[in-house]
Amino acid sequence: MTPYNRNTLIVGLAAALVIGAVVSYFASSHPDGLEKTQEDLGAAAPAHKGLVAPPVAFNEYSLKCLGEGFWGNAVAGVVGCLLVMGLLLGLGHLLRRWRHETTANGAS
Amino acid sequence: MHIGSGFLSPPVWGTMAAVSGAAVAGSLAVARRRLDERKVPLMGVMGAFVFAAQMVNFPVLAGTSGHLGGGFLLGVLLGAPMAVIVMASILVVQSLVFQDGGVEALGANIFVMGVIPCLLGAAVRRLWMRRTAPILVEVVTAVGGLIGVLAGATGVILMLAWSGSLPGTVTLTHALGVMNGVHLIIGIVEGLVSVAVIRFVLATRREAAFGAATLEAGEASR
Repeated sequence: MTPYNRNTLIVGLAAALVIGAVVSYFASSHPDGLEKTQEDLGAAAPAHKGLVAPPVAFNEYSLKCLGEGFWGNAVAGVVGCLLVMGLLLGLGHLLRRWRHETTANGAS
Repeated sequence: MHIGSGFLSPPVWGTMAAVSGAAVAGSLAVARRRLDERKVPLMGVMGAFVFAAQMVNFPVLAGTSGHLGGGFLLGVLLGAPMAVIVMASILVVQSLVFQDGGVEALGANIFVMGVIPCLLGAAVRRLWMRRTAPILVEVVTAVGGLIGVLAGATGVILMLAWSGSLPGTVTLTHALGVMNGVHLIIGIVEGLVSVAVIRFVLATRREAAFGAATLEAGEASR
C-alpha cells in the first residue's frame, strides 16, 4: 500500500469514527422523515410478518450492556464503521483475487 | 428512509430483493473487470463515512428528523457500480446488526437509497471530471441530490401502497405529498452536503476519486 493510500485511510477513517462515535450522540432523536410520514398517515403499525433480525449485542444504535448513553452509542458507531469498512476492503480483496485468477487462466 | 420490518408484503419485498440483487450482482461483475485497486481504500473509507453520517439525524420541521442518504454522493465520487456496492454493504450492516431497516426490506432499501441515488450521482459524475467546476455544475449536482431523495421517497410510498400498508382512507396523492414534503428539506440538505463533500475531495484528494476515471477517459481518447 502506498503512503498516499494509507493516509487516505487514516484521515478518512478518523473522520468517520469521530462522526459515528461522538457527533452522532448529539443527533436528533425525533422520528425520521419516513417514520413521521407513517405516523401522520396512521400507518405506523406493521401489517405483515417480516423476517426476524439475527440476535445481536446491539439494540438499534446502542450496545445493549451499556444502554443508550454516550458509550453505548459510541461503541455502535465504531463497530458499525469498522464492519462496513472491513466488509468493503474484504470485497475489494476478493474481487482482486478473482480477477487475477481469471487472468492467470487466460480467460480474459 | 429505511423501511422497517413488516411494512412490505412478500410479493413487493421479493420483487425488490430480486431487482436489487441483480443490481448488486451486476455491480460486482463490473467491479471485477474494472475496479481500480487504488480505489479500494477510498471505497472502504467512504463506506465508513456514509455509515457514520447516517447516524447523525438533524432536526427537520417540528418533531421530525432526517439524515444523509449518501448514495448520490458516492455515485459522483465512485461511479455507479462501486457506489451501489458501498451502499449495499452499509444497508446490510444496518439491517443485520443495528435493526435499522427490516431484513426482508433490504432489497427495497438498497433500491431507494442505493440504486436510484447512485445512478443519479453517476450521471452528474462526468461534469466534475474537468479541472475547474463552474457554479452551474454545483447547482446541477445539488438539484440532482434533491431529486435522488425525492425519487427514493416516492418509491417508498409506492411500495407501501402496493403492500397495503397505507390506510384505505389515505389517497396515494396525499401520501406522496406528505412524504415528499418532509423529504424536500432532507433532500436540499442532501444536495448541499454532497456538493460540499465533493468540493472537499476535489481540493484534497482529487486523484483518489477522479484520477483513475480521467485516466480511463484519456486512454479511450488515445
